[in-house]
Parts: sequence; C-alpha cells; structure tokens
Amino acid sequence: MAAYLLKRTVQILLTLFAFICIVFFLVNAQPGDISNVYALNPELPPDAKQRMQEQFGLNQPLWQQFLVYVKNVLTGSFGLSFSHYPRSVADVIGERLPRTVALFFTATVFSFYMGFVLGKIIAWKRGGWTEYATTLGGVTLYTVFTPWFALMMIWLFAFKAGWFPIGKFLDPVLWRDAPLNANTLFNRMMLTVFVVSVIVFAIFLVTTRRRVAGARYIQIGSLAAAAAVTVGIWWSTDVGHLAWDLIEHMILPVLTLTIISFAGTMLLTRNSMLETMREDFVLAARAKGLPEKAVRDRHVARNALLPVVTSLVFSLAFAVDGSVIIESVFSWPGMGQTLVSAALAEDLPLAVGAFVFVGIFVLLAHLAVDVLYVYLDPRIRY
Amino acid sequence: MSGAPLLAVTDLTVDYHTRAGEVRAVDGVSFTVETGQALGLVGESGCGKSSLALALLRLLPESAQIRQGQVLLEGVDLLALSANDMRAYRWNRIAMVFQSAMNALDPVYRVGDQIIEALEQHPSAVSQDPAERVRELYDLVNLNHNSIDRYPHEYSGGMKQRAIIAMALACRPDLIIADEPTTALDVIVQDRILRELGNIRRELNMSMLYVSHDMAVIAEVSDVVAVMYAGKIVEYGDAAAVFKRPIHPYTRALMSSFPSVTGEKHDLATLSGEPPNPLDLPSGCHFHPRCPFATDVCKEQAPPTVRRGTQWADCWNPPGDEADG
Ligand SMILES: Nc1ncnc2c1ncn2[C@@H]1O[C@H](COP(=O)(O)OP(=O)(O)OP(=O)(O)O)[C@@H](O)[C@H]1O
Ligand SMILES: [Mg+2]
Repeated sequence: MAAYLLKRTVQILLTLFAFICIVFFLVNAQPGDISNVYALNPELPPDAKQRMQEQFGLNQPLWQQFLVYVKNVLTGSFGLSFSHYPRSVADVIGERLPRTVALFFTATVFSFYMGFVLGKIIAWKRGGWTEYATTLGGVTLYTVFTPWFALMMIWLFAFKAGWFPIGKFLDPVLWRDAPLNANTLFNRMMLTVFVVSVIVFAIFLVTTRRRVAGARYIQIGSLAAAAAVTVGIWWSTDVGHLAWDLIEHMILPVLTLTIISFAGTMLLTRNSMLETMREDFVLAARAKGLPEKAVRDRHVARNALLPVVTSLVFSLAFAVDGSVIIESVFSWPGMGQTLVSAALAEDLPLAVGAFVFVGIFVLLAHLAVDVLYVYLDPRIRY
Repeated sequence: MSGAPLLAVTDLTVDYHTRAGEVRAVDGVSFTVETGQALGLVGESGCGKSSLALALLRLLPESAQIRQGQVLLEGVDLLALSANDMRAYRWNRIAMVFQSAMNALDPVYRVGDQIIEALEQHPSAVSQDPAERVRELYDLVNLNHNSIDRYPHEYSGGMKQRAIIAMALACRPDLIIADEPTTALDVIVQDRILRELGNIRRELNMSMLYVSHDMAVIAEVSDVVAVMYAGKIVEYGDAAAVFKRPIHPYTRALMSSFPSVTGEKHDLATLSGEPPNPLDLPSGCHFHPRCPFATDVCKEQAPPTVRRGTQWADCWNPPGDEADG
C-alpha cells in the first residue's frame, strides 16, 4: 500500500509540474504583456511596482522569468493581487478555496450517493415505468443548460417560495456585530465536519472488519450520535446562528449541483450493475440461499461500485467548470468566481495563483480517489 | 438402496425464450438419485446439462421457464415452494459446485468470509462456530489454514477449486451438484481433486449429481450414469453395466472418443457431425442424422425404450445380445 501510494504521489507531483509549466506558457502566450499591466496601472504605488518587478523578474529574459515563476510557485508566493490590492494572492485564495472545496465536496458526496442508490435500484428492477421515468428525468437534468437551471432554482425556491436566501455567502445584517469573521467560522465548521467524519468512518471500518455483532446498529447509532452531539455543541455556542446562516446559503447551490450531476453516476451504476449481474459469483451468492437484497447489495453493487468510483476522477474536471458557472449564478465567492473576475480584471498574479491552486486541489482529490480505490479493490497490487 | 429416493425428478422440461424462438433445453427428463449415490450426467456441449442442474435449484436465468415436471427432494416438490422457502433449501440441502468455479468466488471478499456467509445464512445446518467450521473444511479439502483470510486472486486455480468444494460442503448438504467443476484445471490437478471429492462424498454419505462432457471423468466418479442428447436422457443405468455394454449408439460413440486405460483409442464409430440445432431438431430419433445404424423408422418415429435389467435406452436398433462380448 505504502509503495503504491508513493508511486502515485510521485506521478502526481510530475503531473503537477507539467501543469505549472503549461499555466506559465499559456499566460505568456496570450496577447498583452504582464509588465504593461503593472507599468500602466495607476492604482499601484511606484514602490509596489518595483517590488513586483523584482518578484516576477519582469526585466529578465523569459527563461529566467520561468525559473523565478517556478521558485515562486514552490515557495507559495504568488505576489500581491492586483484587483484586491494590497492583499496577497495566497491570502485571497486561502479565503476562497475552502468555500469551493466545501461546496463541491458536499455536492459530489450527495450526487454520488443518490446516483449510486438509484442506479442500483433501476438496474435490479429492469423494465417498467420506474426505470423509464428515472432514466429520462436523470438524463434531462444531466443535459439541461446549467445557468438557466440554476436561475430557475433560485427563482422557484428562493424568490417565490422564500425558503432560502437569494445567492451570496452570508447575510451581512446578521454578521454586523459578529464576534468573529466569517472565514474563521467557516474553516472551523469544516474542521468539525472533517474530524467527525473521520471518527464515524473509523467506527464503520472497525466494526465491519472485525465482524462485530450488531455492526449495523452500532454504525447507525454512532452516526446519529455524532450528528446530534455536533449540532448540539454548535447550537450552544454564541455563533450557532451564524453557522446556520452559512449553511443556509449553501443549501441551494449544493441542491442544484446534486440535481444536475447525479444522473451520470446513476447511469454508470446501472450499466455496471447489469454487467456484474452476469458474473458467476452472483449465481453462487443466490445458490447459497442469500436473500435478493443481500445478493444485490453485498455482491452485485459492491463490485459494480469499482468502475463508478474510477469515474469520480472524471467528475472532478466537471466540478471545476461547474464551479465557474454555479458560483457566478449564486454569487458565491469561491474559486470559480475568483478565476473569472481575475481573468476579466487582468489580475494576472491572482489568475495564475488560482489556476495553480485549482490544479493542486484536483490532483489531491485524484490521489484521494486512488486511495479509496485501493481500499475498495483488494486486487490492486501494492 | 431401497425406500424413497433422496431426489426424484419427473418429466422436467425447460424452455429458453430467445429472439429466434423457444429453445427446449431440457425435454421431459426423469431420474432419481438415492442417498449416498453419485449420478453422472454426460453429454456433448449444449445438450442441456447445465440447464437441468440449474433447474433443480431454480437458479435459471429469467429468460428460462420450467414448463412442467416435478423435483422432489425427500417428497417435497421444490418447484412448488415459495421463493422464500426455496432459499432455505439452497446450499443447506442442495449445494452446487459451478461449471466456471474459477469465477464463483466474489473477488472483493476474503475466501473464508464467503464460506462463513453461507454458514450464517443457514445457522441450523451446523452447530459449530462458523470460523471453526471453516478451519475444519479447509482440513477436509487439504487447504492450508493461513489462506482462509486471503482473497480469491491470491489463490491458484486448484486452490480455488478446493475452496469452492469446501464451500459446497459447508452446510453438510444432502446433495451436491457438480457442473464440470474441473474443466479449467490441468489434468493432474483435476484427477487428484476428483478423487478427493469422491472420497469425501463417500465418507459423508452425500449424494452427488456430477455433470460432464467427458466420459472418462464420469467413469471415474459415478455409480449411475445418465447420457443426455438434445435435452433428453437417451440411456440410463448402473455405471458398470453402461460402460460394459452400452445400448445406445450415442453412448458407444461417446465412449469410443476417450482413450482407454491402455492409452490406445478405439476407432470404431467415432462421433461425427455436429450436435443438432435446438431450434430445428431432427424428426424421429434426434440422433438419427449422426447414427451409423439409422434406418427409415428412426427418421419418422420417436424410438421405444429398450430395457436390460435396470439399464435402459431409447433406440430403434439396439445391438443384439449376441454381438456383445
Ligand atoms: N441463457 C440462455 N438463453 C437462451 N438459450 C440458452 C441459454 N442458456 C442455454 N441455452 C441453450 O440451451 C441449450 C442447453 O444449454 P446448456 O448450457 O444447458 O448446455 P450444457 O450441456 O451445459 O453445455 P456445456 O457443456 O457447453 O456447458 C443450448 O442449446 C443453449 O444454446
Ligand atoms: Mg454447461
């Protein structure tokens, strides 16, 4: 396992380096010169211009600029953002990347779960109108024009029904006298979710592996207990209502993303199930006298899951361009919106930084999927 | 071998629904298996052996339909049971070793756990602790205990085969159906596993339905032989009698196509031609286009049953008694 992960990590570092080079050449190949943008920008004080010139090596030949750039990327110093002056690029990204990660991680988990469960059911009950309606509905939502659909969701659920706030990340009125800043709170919330998930996952893992009696009840119980304790503790703090405000703003974008993307997983799961159902071990499972539900879940679905998990890697790319659209429509200040506004404002340091960080994030997610796959498929050679 | 048989199959008929039409894979088959007896079912590829085996456990694919017949296990008609009641019979009373045993293990679970899964499904079958029972089974089939917690891909072909047999024995079934369980193995391993399976079966006094296209294998494992052609049993009898004096020309042809103990091949009446197309079966005796003894009546009318003691065959032109040596 360790050797396999080491190999994958090295591969990913090499990919990352290639990605960084491509970003550099794309930026330099486009019309307009980075030095002009700085030299002609009246808002930048002269000493700042001077600092930037040194930092990016703007008065040096291109190959030296490239070396400077690589050094900057490796040390994480992308300089100062131009549209958010005087904040540094790292600071802006540090604020926004967690938001996008939270949004897309949640939506990916939901849509994967929903797609997998639905795919499993329609594969098992072939024919009939349930399969037909689910497939047709799923494909329609999958191919729908995303900005239009997102606007319809806002119009319907936020504007007409008034169940959710209309876009944005928080409600400024609530936060006027807030004891702490929204990003700190948001990061704390994410940390909480992360720690709780790790604990619950560990309980699931141990009870399953050790074949503990009543594992199912322990698992459901621990999940419920963890949720109750977390909500209880947050509720009792004086920032509980602020945390809820952030969550409320997340629900509609997460819902929209889930609805437009679950069908991919669903159809893939369905096909993978139909393929797996023909295997001999499924016949053997039936011959053992297992109930249909155990045959479906324990044997067919468990094996059909493998290619579906592999496909998660591809949906990561979808998440990046999805983030640009969804964040713009919902005015959600995350990485997607940052990328667009940096490009429009010719804020090159921020654009480059955003690209590189999105790249790092996607590759890390890729690595995470690899680890998950190794865990799920014992045939992978470590 | 007196009293009611363990398994009595009467007039079993299985059709597959295909685009080209109804395919009759099993055509009015009847036979019995006594307790402790091994019945060898032999026939060419496509004659309906697997369909028959799967029908007994009601494990046929959805495209198949059991048209008629009875499958009585100690007097209980399995075909009349509800799906839930049927599950209690599977593995507990009738276990199966599959044709492609290589793929009969789920790749994502440890082999030992897959055996335990069967034991936990039928808790009344064995009173022992499941893990203890698995160790006992591994001893029985000569597998090392340290492979219990390994995954199927870590097993060799022969080991998988032994594990599959261990799994079939797990709940102490009354009947084991073995559908060409050794075809994927090399001859030496195949031979050894066959002999071991035979020994275990005799020791535990289990019945077995052994399915194969290979007469040599059938000769080695069975007490009683049933020869199948185009969905019908065409000859049936004690193994000793059938191998000594086969009645049906098809049986004789099958026997001549395997090397004798001395290694030489009998060349007389080697099987020529192809098995018939199940969508367009020949009239009269289905075997007549390939039969060296066929006469006009064979083409027109279904053959009568010829009996010789407990042995019987469906044939118009059985060899005269003076012709047998
Ligand atoms: N799922 C199916 N759908 C349609 N026809 C089938 C199906 N399975 C088997 N058949 C047909 O039923 C007949 C009997 O098939 P079966 O698999 O029982 O033969 P077999 O004697 O086990 O052959 P083999 O030695 O190759 O395993 C064949 O003509 C085959 O084409
Ligand atoms: Mg077969």
